[in-house]
Amino acid sequence: HVHLSDASGLTPTTARALWLSHEASTHSLSQQLTESLRLILAPTLATKLRGDFRTGKRLNLKRIIPYIASSYKRDKIWLRRSLPSKRSYQVMIALDDSKSMAESGASNLALKTLTLVARSMAMLEVGEVAVTGFGDTVNVAHEFDKPFTSEAGMRVFEQFSFTQQKTDVRGLVHRSLDLFADARRRGSTSAGEDLWQLMLVVSDGICDSHSEIQRLVRRAQEERVMIVFVIIDSSVSVPTTTTAKQADGGKAEAVAEERKGIMDLQSVEISAEGKVVRWKYMERFPFRYFLVVRDVRELPGVLSGALRQWFGEVVGSV
Amino acid sequence: MESKPEVKVPVRLSTRDPSIQLAQEPGTLLVQTTLRRPQLSALVNNLLRPDEKPIPFDILINGQFLRTTIDEFLTKNGISAETTLDVEYTRALVPPLNVTSF
Ligand SMILES: [Mg+2]
Repeated sequence: HVHLSDASGLTPTTARALWLSHEASTHSLSQQLTESLRLILAPTLATKLRGDFRTGKRLNLKRIIPYIASSYKRDKIWLRRSLPSKRSYQVMIALDDSKSMAESGASNLALKTLTLVARSMAMLEVGEVAVTGFGDTVNVAHEFDKPFTSEAGMRVFEQFSFTQQKTDVRGLVHRSLDLFADARRRGSTSAGEDLWQLMLVVSDGICDSHSEIQRLVRRAQEERVMIVFVIIDSSVSVPTTTTAKQADGGKAEAVAEERKGIMDLQSVEISAEGKVVRWKYMERFPFRYFLVVRDVRELPGVLSGALRQWFGEVVGSV
Repeated sequence: MESKPEVKVPVRLSTRDPSIQLAQEPGTLLVQTTLRRPQLSALVNNLLRPDEKPIPFDILINGQFLRTTIDEFLTKNGISAETTLDVEYTRALVPPLNVTSF
């Protein structure tokens, strides 16, 4: 149970109890996720030949013509085998603190997800973890340069109330890109290391300003910040509240029992004249990488699978 | 759609009148908060009998007749767009006065 102290967040006692309970219940899942992430983040074993050097292993054929054309002056024509670079990461977990989270019953699963992911990242020990809360404003609940301990987790929990009156995802992405740029500049990474910046948004997925968000998502891609949207779909765990009064018995009841999740959610556009256009909300979702989670036990498998594929895409495209 | 940031609110439609019950429960719908009664009436018609002459419906949100935009209604009643609204529709008893303002 989540006990809230008005809009100020969980009380220290509740936050502590809830954190410890989530930490214990997700412990083995965290370990599972850590192991998968370790494999993803491990340096690529296959080394690549890279140019341009005066001596080396193999000739870079693209450099031969310019070499001759420059009367043998541009002589960096050799490829060398480069060492695999180490990877480090900065992960921001952005948790939706808006009221819809509490109303849909997603808040508890969201806090559990936050615990699981933050703990696994901390266990990996090759990067930094930050936590932000968003709603009508963005709150940095845990900064990149502080270690994410259990105590830190409890303090993060104290900063969530799920009572914010808006879900400003556009504002979140905008602010986060600044935070990532700062963190990159501060650069605790040593030379030769690949820094991966990942943002995990944990939310019920309901937000406005899609076209503006899309623009920011493209900017994130240019700045090499990967954004993964984890949608908490609590539709299964919440009892149905709609009172469908069907006259024709059993079959209709079975239909009414089947709850509609985020994948069935419809968005509607109605003109002043009453022209109605309807579409599936997720078909125009502004984030390219998203996954839907209904049970925290699904998370290690789904998240690591998705990250492996998406990181592969990013590395492959460079 | 590009111009100004548009806010949408989740709604769930229901009625007490068995003769205008939706055959297929549409679940939660996201609608603009700029809408008024005639547009919501059009939505119900679109779901109920898209190919026939529209029936005018009155709209009740949390048991109160909607006379303004949804946005104004929410502000007046201290409700945020984060809350899923229970939207009830009934056959309009009196023909609406400003049908021509469609
Ligand atoms: Mg929300």
